[in-house]
Amino acid sequence: MTGKDIIKITLNLVIVYLIGGFILAFVFANASPKIYKNNEEAEKKALKELMPEADTNDKLGDWSIHDKHAKYFISKKGGDTVGYIIQSFGKGYSSYINTFVAVDKDFIVQKINILAHGETPGLGDEIELDYFKDRLKGKDIEHLKVLKTETKEYVEAISGATISSRAVTEDAVKNGVAFLIKTVNPATEQHGSISNEVKEGGNTDVKQQH
Amino acid sequence: MSSNSTSLKELFLNGIIKENTIFKLALSLCPSIAVTNNLKNGIFMGLAVLFVQTMVNITISLMRKVIQPKVRLPIFMLVISGWVTITQMMMAAFVPDVYAKVGLYIALIVAFASILARAEMFASKNSIMPSMVDGLGMGVGFLFALTAISFFRELVGKGTLTVPTGLATQHVFTFINTKPLLIMVLPAGGFLAVGILMAAFNWLDTKYMKKGAHSSH
Repeated sequence: MTGKDIIKITLNLVIVYLIGGFILAFVFANASPKIYKNNEEAEKKALKELMPEADTNDKLGDWSIHDKHAKYFISKKGGDTVGYIIQSFGKGYSSYINTFVAVDKDFIVQKINILAHGETPGLGDEIELDYFKDRLKGKDIEHLKVLKTETKEYVEAISGATISSRAVTEDAVKNGVAFLIKTVNPATEQHGSISNEVKEGGNTDVKQQH
Repeated sequence: MSSNSTSLKELFLNGIIKENTIFKLALSLCPSIAVTNNLKNGIFMGLAVLFVQTMVNITISLMRKVIQPKVRLPIFMLVISGWVTITQMMMAAFVPDVYAKVGLYIALIVAFASILARAEMFASKNSIMPSMVDGLGMGVGFLFALTAISFFRELVGKGTLTVPTGLATQHVFTFINTKPLLIMVLPAGGFLAVGILMAAFNWLDTKYMKKGAHSSH
C-alpha cells in the first residue's frame, strides 16, 4: 500500500462520515424541537389522566429513589389543592418499575400508572393491567401492603408475581406517598389551614369591634 | 425486459423463502427472540426492519462506486446507524404515540447482522433496482418470520393475540383465559418457537421445492 492509497482511503472515510454527520445534524435540528414539545405534551396528558378533576398540575420539585431522579406535582382546581402526583420507582423482579401515583389531599391513592418496566412477560407484566392497578385505589399508607390471600382491605398480590406486586405497592407507591406526607404536608397544608384560621379570627374580631 | 422482471421477482422471493433471514440463514435471532412475545411487537419490529433494510440497500448501492473496499465495513455501519437514528428521530417527532410503543426496538436494528450482511453481499455489488428489491424481499421475509414466531408464541404461551388496529391502538383477542404454556412467552420459549417453526418452514420448503422441480422438468 502506497502513501497515496492511505490518504485516499482516509479521505474517503472522513468525507463519508462528515456527510453522514451533517445529515444527522440536519435531521436532529429539525426534529428535536418537535420531540421536546411532544414529550411535554405527553407528560401533561399523562398527568391529566391521573388527576382528571384538576385544572392544573404544576411541578413542585424533584426527589430521588433508588438513585433515580423523579418529580412530583401539585394538582389544583380553581386555586384549591385537590391532590398530588408523584413519580416513583420500585425495585421489581428484573427491573425498576417507573410508576406515577396520584393521591388526594388526604394522601389516599386515587390512581396509579406504570410508565415503564422490564418485568417477566406473562407474569410480572400484569402490574400494567387495570385489575391490579385498581387494587391500590382508595388505600392510605397504612393499607399499602401486599397479601397473598384474597383481600379487599389491603392489596392482593398477582398470582405468580408477588415480587412485582410488592415492588409497585410497598416500594414505589408507599415510598412515594410517604415522601409526599413528609414533604408536602407540614409545608403547605398545615400552613394554609393556620393562615385560614387566623384570617377567620381576624374577621370575627373586626365584626365584634363594629 | 421480461427476463429482467422475472429475475426481480425471483430476487424478491429469494429473501422470503430461499434465503429467509431467520428460518434459513438463522441470522438476527437475538432480537427476534427478544421482541416476539406478542404479535403486535413482532409485526412492528418486522416493519421497522423492512424499512431500514430497504433504505440501507438503496443507499449502499448508490454509494458503491465511491466506497474504498478497505473501509467498506465502517461505512456500512455508518449508513445503517444513520438510517436507524433518522427513523428514530422522525418517529419521535411526527408519530410520538407509535414511537412510545416501538422506539425501544428500533435502536436494536443497528446491531442486525442481516442488514449488514445484505449490504456486504448484495447492495455493494448491484445497482439500485435489484438492491431495492433485495432489501424489500429480505425485509418481507423477516416480517413474515417475526409475525409467524410471535403469533405462535403469544397464542400458545398466553392464549391471546394482540392485533394492532392502528399505529398506536391494539385489540387483544383472548382465546384461552388461563395461560396454556407460559414458557413460550419467556425467553427460553423463544428458542423453542424458532426451532419448531424453522423445522416446519424447511419441511414445507423441501416438499414444495421437490414438487416445483418435478413439474418444471
